[in-house]
Amino acid sequence: MYSLGELMKKRTLSFFFLLALLLAGCDSAMPDRAASDASVWAMDTQMDLRLYGDTDGTVMADLIAILNELDHKLSATSADSVLTALNESGRSDDEEIEFLAEQALKLWSQTDGALDITLLPVSRAWGFSTGSYRVVPAAELEALRAQVGMDKLEVSDSTAPSRAELLLSDGAMLDFGALAKGWAAERCKARMEQAKLSGILSLGGNIQTVGTKPDGSDWVVGVQDPDDPGRYVLTLRLTGSKAAVASGDYQRYFMQDGVRYCHILDPKTLSPVQGSLRSVTVVTDSGLRADGLSTALYVLGREAGTELWRKLGDFEAIWIEADGSVWITPGLQDRVAEGAYQVIEA
Amino acid sequence: MSRIRRGRAPRPTPHLSTRAWAMIFGAMFLLLAGLTALQYLGAKPASTAEIWVDGVLLRTIDLSQDGEYRIESAEGWNVLSVSGGKLAVTAASCPDADCVRCGPQNSGPPIVCLPNRVSIQFSDSGGVDGAVR
Repeated sequence: MYSLGELMKKRTLSFFFLLALLLAGCDSAMPDRAASDASVWAMDTQMDLRLYGDTDGTVMADLIAILNELDHKLSATSADSVLTALNESGRSDDEEIEFLAEQALKLWSQTDGALDITLLPVSRAWGFSTGSYRVVPAAELEALRAQVGMDKLEVSDSTAPSRAELLLSDGAMLDFGALAKGWAAERCKARMEQAKLSGILSLGGNIQTVGTKPDGSDWVVGVQDPDDPGRYVLTLRLTGSKAAVASGDYQRYFMQDGVRYCHILDPKTLSPVQGSLRSVTVVTDSGLRADGLSTALYVLGREAGTELWRKLGDFEAIWIEADGSVWITPGLQDRVAEGAYQVIEA
Repeated sequence: MSRIRRGRAPRPTPHLSTRAWAMIFGAMFLLLAGLTALQYLGAKPASTAEIWVDGVLLRTIDLSQDGEYRIESAEGWNVLSVSGGKLAVTAASCPDADCVRCGPQNSGPPIVCLPNRVSIQFSDSGGVDGAVR
């Protein structure tokens, strides 16, 4: 029989030993949740993948295969891609491309035409897909307009008994540059969820978080400063699976006569967007939607973009203006870990 | 003749109070906690930068050693300079030279040169899991 004092001693001993063991062992007690990293160059950018718990590397290999497969399928510059075949023939029965075209049509409709995936001939003229940059004369742009427009894209009803088909008319050509990385993130996320793995993907700066970190803490995601790429304007704490995608004028652009011409084209003017915005970041559940909406919001500018946010209400956004001001939607207010900002009125 | 051992009678084992035991184990706990904290904080590795070209790790640079490096890719070249624990891209063949404008860094967002397919990633992420750009 133990006396009360002895019992207390034993309890104290057990308590402190348990705590010490937990503390000392917490970094090595979960080998099945260890991090594994990989990088791959695809879709003309560096993609960095971090998975937790992929003990045999199977899922990582699958993700790299997905990224390479989509790079081959959706490249607008590769001569042998599925997309190039579509652009040359005006016809495709690839179900994934049809699905993406349907999603693009939906976003085009929702954003009042701000997202348009038929601008490839114009993008080529400006040199963004070739590297031979030039300011395109207005007359040439007007001539190119005959090839542009989402009305030149027809997707047959995929529920119909006949095989679904995508048709392009008037020499229209598609470019999935505003959606491809977001879609790649979604496909990778699905594979990770199937394997019950968590992790974070950076597909050329498109961030996709999946699940929760092994230590249970939030994902910390920084939004790069367009003026000083070495620092963040804001850092956000994201919980669970989220996509965070930015569009801006500081990644792909050229300068001529002191004017910055960015790679994001305004479907109305067929010219690079010239506004007061440096970047827009969209945070939402779907990588595809975040990707498309960030481009559309950049085209629209902050005022019209804010109206779109009020209308759709299924995403959060961060606008960074040329004067350095940062505007966020109210839903992100308690997600900001660091940084100064102003809040858009709901 | 038997030897008679003389000496003091054995003393009873000292009996510590519950409070004393608690203090001893508390001290042990604090010691272990301190050692564990040192494991996390004290053993922090030196800052390094990984140089990726076309999705392949080319080399890892120790930022505590000053030096200059020329990175060649199929698309062009970048000159990196390490000084005072920071790395900067000092020259590049790319047309926009955004990587050069990044300035000296030893942590934070990666320096990316899209035209030359070069990405420079720092071992010290500054507590950030990913950079939206």
